[in-house]
Amino acid sequence: MTLKIALVGCGKIADGHVEEIQKLPTRAHVVAVCDREILMAEQIATRYRIPAYYDSYERMLDRERPDVVHITTPPQSHLPLSRLALDAGCHIYVEKPLALNHGDAKALIDAVATAGRKMTIGYTYLFDPPALEMRAAIESGVLGKVVHVESWFGYNLAGQFGSAILGDSTHWVHALPGKLFHNNVDHLLNKLVEFIPDDEPRIDAHAWRRHPVRFGDVRDEMQDELRITMVGSETSAYGTFTSHVKPAAHFVRLYGEKNIMHVDYVSRTVTLEPGATLPSAIGRWAPAFGQAMQFLRAGGRNGMAFARGEFHLFSGLNRLISMFYDSILDGAPLPIPTRDILRVSSWMDRIFVGIGAERGR
Amino acid sequence: MMKKVLVTGATGFLGGSLVERLLAHGEHNLRVTVRPGSRRERVLAAAAKYPDAQVEFVEANLIAAKDAARAVDGVDVVYHLAASMRGAPADMFLNTVVGSKYLLEAIGTRKPMRVVLVSSFSVYGVAELGRGAVVDEQTPLETHPEKRDLYGYVKLRQEALFSEYAAKNGFELVILRPGVIYGPGGNAFSSRVGLNLFGVFLHLGGKNLLPLSFVDNSSDAIALAGQAPEAAGQVYNVHDDDLPTCAEYLDAYRREVKAIRRLRVPYPALAVLSRVLDRYHAWSKGQLPAIFTPYKSATTWGGNRFDNSKLKRLGWKQAIPTADGLQRTFAWLRAST
Repeated sequence: MTLKIALVGCGKIADGHVEEIQKLPTRAHVVAVCDREILMAEQIATRYRIPAYYDSYERMLDRERPDVVHITTPPQSHLPLSRLALDAGCHIYVEKPLALNHGDAKALIDAVATAGRKMTIGYTYLFDPPALEMRAAIESGVLGKVVHVESWFGYNLAGQFGSAILGDSTHWVHALPGKLFHNNVDHLLNKLVEFIPDDEPRIDAHAWRRHPVRFGDVRDEMQDELRITMVGSETSAYGTFTSHVKPAAHFVRLYGEKNIMHVDYVSRTVTLEPGATLPSAIGRWAPAFGQAMQFLRAGGRNGMAFARGEFHLFSGLNRLISMFYDSILDGAPLPIPTRDILRVSSWMDRIFVGIGAERGR
Repeated sequence: MMKKVLVTGATGFLGGSLVERLLAHGEHNLRVTVRPGSRRERVLAAAAKYPDAQVEFVEANLIAAKDAARAVDGVDVVYHLAASMRGAPADMFLNTVVGSKYLLEAIGTRKPMRVVLVSSFSVYGVAELGRGAVVDEQTPLETHPEKRDLYGYVKLRQEALFSEYAAKNGFELVILRPGVIYGPGGNAFSSRVGLNLFGVFLHLGGKNLLPLSFVDNSSDAIALAGQAPEAAGQVYNVHDDDLPTCAEYLDAYRREVKAIRRLRVPYPALAVLSRVLDRYHAWSKGQLPAIFTPYKSATTWGGNRFDNSKLKRLGWKQAIPTADGLQRTFAWLRAST
């Protein structure tokens, strides 16, 4: 069976979805796209040769009868669009962030359960090659028990997404409860849930604005630096969202009882921090070579993957979509547990309340 | 009563020049749209030279209907330059095409109005014409926009939208299609000359003619298109005379500005490379972007000749000779590198 896929919301991120779905021709094909601005639906249909495009979501669901709907609209519309898709019998892939708040997130998940359909969310980095390698390494026992996790997400305000937000005071990001953070901290928090099993760890968050005041509108108030501390029953964590540290790094560091691991999503390397295993000054001299060898091996593996044509920018998105479709077609487990999705949304609420209170002081 | 003229994109490279040339051509009742936070100094400096000139700034985001309505309210001529030159495909399309739609909706059926659209050479479908074919206003438009770079697709769709609304609402539409607009404040290289790849400039344009249009000469053509009665409903290609080849331009740049490293790729070699990269792109499922495909290469680097005689018949004269334009541009580039 080949799944019929429809997509709603033809902004930037929709391109990535369509490209990755079109790489799975034996399992799925994109039958239609929809945007309330018909020109936006037309442009993606033209560029990717999609047979139909709509400006009415209901009409698309009614005429195309898709099996899966990818919802790539701003989060303000995720809940109502999800409900309509579920009512039409569709499974849903919802872009992050899931909803405006934890209450809406729960309502969305409940609606999925009631409809007996499946859903996933765009936590793509969980399926990037370094994340897979990290899990295999943890499985091998090299880290021992994880004591502390650090999740770092660097953001480029001058990049495609950042400049769209700073270029438009009416951009939907400015209307989110957590503003810029709301659209990005999923990427920071969703890497922590697998190490912090608690529903309600202790969370402290601090946020501030570092970009200069120059617009005279809502953009001048947008905070762009966020620090989070979390303490769970077994593991603690730091989270950093930064718009001003350059380069815009993206990594996780795992501090285990046996080793420290650096998981880099930019260079796609997973390396262990060196310890002094040799005595005296030699113990300070030798580790650099061991570390150099790790990077050499990692670079070599990436090079081999590249030579095989398997080293793609959106590897994680492709894998997540594949696993989600597998869960629909073959009954495989969902790629992301529902509980983890809800814990992320709950933590986001608590962080935004925390920094809101701080702002009000 | 003096005509009121709207310029969108007035704080851009071409827009700044157009404001200066419109003032010089006697248009002294201007409204310009600006985005909040964008720089207004150049427009203000130009206006300061004409004490009787009124220049009104309207803060507008053209993808907001109410802003577009405010921008066109009470104007007689619209010069639409605002466009997105870079960014994600969806954003470029949104800012250029959807922005145009809001503007056109706002124009609606208001009082008789002339609308001048600044389009681009990139709307022509030259890939299948053969090398050396002459590009004039009769050249067919692109029929495979999906095979082209996004900018060409966006400008093509924008033009179609303007033509559709002009037919529906009855305003006077003039379309200008400039070649490579250059000048102080602009880019050093058009992709027609080549591309910078990992610190080496790939010279792909060879001895193809480079359809340069000095920014102030372009602005003169645009101003004329808004003023000449006989321009209504017409399309004009815009480029200068005495065009250099891409190789001549690159040599002059290396001599006058900076001795960059270059690698000349002859067209037959580029054609082979394009086929190989196109196949690699398909085999690897897009591991690397398809910068070169046979279609894109034939379009951009196949090489054409150009004809600006229709613009001249309208009365346009090249005020800044190409040699002077190049000298001014290189002097600015030299100072800013």
